[in-house]
Amino acid sequence: MANLNLTLKVWRQENAQAQGRIETYKAKNIPDEASFLEMLDIVNEELVHEGKEPIHFDHDCREGICGMCSLTINGVPHGGKKVTTCQLHMRQFKDGDTIWIEPFRAAAFPLLRDLVVDRTALDKIIAAGGFVDVRTGAAPNANNVPVRKKTADAAFDAAACIGCGACVASCKNSAAMLFTSAKAAHLNLLPQGQPEKNKRVLAMVRQMDALGFGNCTNLYECEAACPKGISVDNIAKLNRDYMIACAAEAVGVFA
Amino acid sequence: MNDIITTACKFVTSSIGRKILVALSGACLLLFLVGHLAGNMTIFGGDVAAGDRSWIEYYATGLHSMPAWLLWSIRLGLLAVALVHIVLAIVLKIENKNARTPYQKEGTLKATISSRSMIYTGILVLAFIVIHLWQLTINGDPATCYSHVLHLFQQPAWAIFYIVAILGLMMHVRHGLQSVLQTVGLATRKVRPLYNLVSWAFAIVVCGAFILIPVCVMLGILK
Repeated sequence: MANLNLTLKVWRQENAQAQGRIETYKAKNIPDEASFLEMLDIVNEELVHEGKEPIHFDHDCREGICGMCSLTINGVPHGGKKVTTCQLHMRQFKDGDTIWIEPFRAAAFPLLRDLVVDRTALDKIIAAGGFVDVRTGAAPNANNVPVRKKTADAAFDAAACIGCGACVASCKNSAAMLFTSAKAAHLNLLPQGQPEKNKRVLAMVRQMDALGFGNCTNLYECEAACPKGISVDNIAKLNRDYMIACAAEAVGVFA
Repeated sequence: MNDIITTACKFVTSSIGRKILVALSGACLLLFLVGHLAGNMTIFGGDVAAGDRSWIEYYATGLHSMPAWLLWSIRLGLLAVALVHIVLAIVLKIENKNARTPYQKEGTLKATISSRSMIYTGILVLAFIVIHLWQLTINGDPATCYSHVLHLFQQPAWAIFYIVAILGLMMHVRHGLQSVLQTVGLATRKVRPLYNLVSWAFAIVVCGAFILIPVCVMLGILK
């Protein structure tokens, strides 16, 4: 076990209207088995002792499954180690490192305070169509509804999205295509999602556009930053499904 | 009919719809590049390889002797495709800029330089096309184009400008080709590495062949 001494460059901003700025903090004696958020806890304890305002940041489960923690670390959401910030450990850093900590930035994610942003826009995309309307009952008996193994795997992989917004924060266009495509794909791939597939695709894409996210330019930065390894194959699928849905809407295949 | 128009309007104002239009117009321009290159390669037939005229002059006069309506519909068609590509790309770029709030410390994991500079290489290529049309189409005579091209590239400044512009085109095409396939929904992780390879090969072969002309003139191989 080794202890690290780090310099933190942290974005501080009192509220949505205030002018934000980078402030420098010393993080002293950080155990290398601490998680990134625990490191911030240690820094915050010291700030509280000094009578200063602690650094505000989002967190909840600290198990890498809830999608609540954020932070753009050295310009990369979650630090780019294929895990969420809460699962990022200080052993990934070296003694004496300078670490830049900023919020998940996007016009569609208004900043609330310091490192906390409002990611409600993602919920609005789900609310537009990321669900199955009808009651599907209890889980069906095994093999009652045949699903190809490959399809089931692809749907499961897409469903692994925890909605943290790292894809948006990593995208130079702040596009929400990886999120939207994963949420659409995991239903569109399965039999239960088929009846509303076209309606879902159109509603989710139109909601995504209306919320002021940017347009995907296929840099695949989102896939690299995603802590859950969501594939950009989902984006290609959404593009495909959107064309089909538009054609269906135009000729009135569904009302 | 109303439904078709309504949906079409929504399609061409949506993010994915406009991306698909940029991709398809880009694909048309890629095909044009191949055709243009095939024609250009006749310059390597030399000065008076085919009697009193060089191959490229036969080719150029041949192109110009097609019926005016056909020539102009091809030209206007190309212009329309290019306009769709350019205007939509700029509109999307402006939207993308507005969707972002900047980081103090920028970081990149896997985005390539060519993918991050599409707008700049695009503007470079656009400027090049305007100058290129002015020099060799508007102020050019197909019957004497061999000596015209030779004279142009014997001036090092112009030769270098053409080479730099085509290198910009190479970067643009490298990202563009595989991007087209992703945008129209034909990419999966299985074929994406192949698409990348094909994009590299296309960019190097096509743009390399274009660059070969000024290089050969500068080296005195074409005279």
